[in-house]
Amino acid sequence: MSNNQLIVHIPDEQPHDLHHQPTVTVFASSINPKHANQIVRRLNQIAPLGDLRHVKRIWKKVLEGGQIELSVVLCLAYEGDNQLDDVPPHLQEMISSYQLSPFITNVCKFEATSKEEWQEQCKFWPTSYHPRTYSIDGITGFSEEDSDSVLKFMQSAVELATSDGLVNVVNAAVIVDPSAKQIISTARDQVFIWNTCKDDSCYRKPDLLSCHPISNRLDPQKPMHLRSSCNHLKQSYTNVACLYPGQWTEQQSHSQSSYYCHPLRHAAIVAIEASAARDRRLFPNNEGSKEKYLELDHESHSTSSPSKRQKTGCATVMDNDKLNAHSQTSNQIEDNDKLNAHSQTSNQIEENDNLNPNLLSARPYLCTGYDIYLAWEPCTMCAMALVHQRIRRIFYAFPNPKTGALGSVHRLQGEKSLNHHYAVFRVLIPEEALHKCHTSVSEAEETGI
Amino acid sequence: MTSPDSLVFMELAIQQAKLAMDALEVPVGCVIVEDGKVIASGRNRTTETRNATRHAEMEAIDVLLEQWQKNGLSMTEVAKKFSNCSLYVTCEPCIMCASALSNLGIKEVIYGCSNDKFGGCGSILSLHLSDAVSPNKGFKCVGGIMATEAVLLFRTFYEQGNPKAPKPHRPLAHQAST
Repeated sequence: MSNNQLIVHIPDEQPHDLHHQPTVTVFASSINPKHANQIVRRLNQIAPLGDLRHVKRIWKKVLEGGQIELSVVLCLAYEGDNQLDDVPPHLQEMISSYQLSPFITNVCKFEATSKEEWQEQCKFWPTSYHPRTYSIDGITGFSEEDSDSVLKFMQSAVELATSDGLVNVVNAAVIVDPSAKQIISTARDQVFIWNTCKDDSCYRKPDLLSCHPISNRLDPQKPMHLRSSCNHLKQSYTNVACLYPGQWTEQQSHSQSSYYCHPLRHAAIVAIEASAARDRRLFPNNEGSKEKYLELDHESHSTSSPSKRQKTGCATVMDNDKLNAHSQTSNQIEDNDKLNAHSQTSNQIEENDNLNPNLLSARPYLCTGYDIYLAWEPCTMCAMALVHQRIRRIFYAFPNPKTGALGSVHRLQGEKSLNHHYAVFRVLIPEEALHKCHTSVSEAEETGI
Repeated sequence: MTSPDSLVFMELAIQQAKLAMDALEVPVGCVIVEDGKVIASGRNRTTETRNATRHAEMEAIDVLLEQWQKNGLSMTEVAKKFSNCSLYVTCEPCIMCASALSNLGIKEVIYGCSNDKFGGCGSILSLHLSDAVSPNKGFKCVGGIMATEAVLLFRTFYEQGNPKAPKPHRPLAHQAST
């Protein structure tokens, strides 16, 4: 199996079975083409389509011999009500004045989310389809190189989740700048070990690179066993904060310790905090950049609502360009050479990132352009925190059926009202990976490697 | 529900929001009340911290978690405390904060204006309602208390814009957000 097949895009909307998309029944009628304009204008007044705006009002069929047949949607037909009696009076008048002969037909209930869905929909009745206006790398697939890098970062998140042994598996987060393939911050859940020290010096520098080099321990080429055979792995992972956000009440307090419990310090929240602390450390002078990111903030607000977006189509395009340029995440394939050069320099920057002036121009607004890798699908709180911090892509390994907010219970990537949308991917690694990387870490410790 | 007390507490939340505005932050503020007494307050600090999760609610919650544990309370006792607390906040808690408040098991939330973009207490999601799937208990929630004042703060904030912002300035009458 190729690596890029292990990365599955989790779409904005619950995907429908392509050939069994939900439909609703409507009254339709064929009409005389001469009356089409009048009829459609009148219908839009007396029977607007409301939630069925994606359904085309008129279906134009070209019959054999070039003859044209037009049909229109009149109105919704409610279930079990195939009689015309309940059709509104205005519509009744219209039906009789144009001598229409209504019939029942099906139209698709929801707007198509893909070209394939749209093509299937049009077999019932034509609909309109608006592909999303923004694109995020990976939605249409990953190159081998990119998927290798995704798998390695995911592996480091899973290793981090198990770095305190299998009895204390927690969720873990790794925030990455994909353009430089550089780790920005890492965190484990800190629900039970909250250090209240507010000083920046308390935020440890990311130690993942030094302690747990990104390795190939987890061989993605190995066959998948998503149902683990090891029974002891069937543990409930009760310390994983996003899986059990209410578990904190069970915790005994640490007496005589500088650590407290903090029910909300889930890995994603802590990683966001660490990336913000890094930003303050690297760019202590906020003046110049503040202007820049306030401006960006405003722009991202302006693209927030679909209605606004329609009105300012031009501005949206500009906005995307600027954002891409700003965070240096523009088309990775095109800029491969440049990126290679860039990632070399940023490896050096990692050593001493305070000094490189090039970074100043690359300073992103919050986490714009950054990716996060999480062992488990985040809960609602964490998923929304990642919206606020403008994360570009989320990768998770294991689903969170009870509280997951990226497809399991909620689907924040598809909440249209939000002012930012990330793309979400699941990386298919077996649950055994948790066990494997634990044993390899402890073996390495034992043998002193 | 608009008891004289809740107006007093909401007025204090608005004072917090004004502090945020003075610091060029989006003006949202809150107070947490236990047994008729304000025990914590908070205001938005997202710009200062460059951490967009530092909403007023999160600030106030952190104060209490630290204080209670310094006083030797166990987590069971902390949970019991939260279940006796009311939060007064000038704007409907966002999805993140509503989810956090639900995890903490707060008793009730009283908010000012609704939050049409991010609201987690009815506007976008209804995280204050308990449901069979999620393990959360939910909390009581009342909106619209001194909403006009809260909206006025947002309007003032977005109209004044940022004097240092590059031209063109923020458009006037920008929609409120937290």
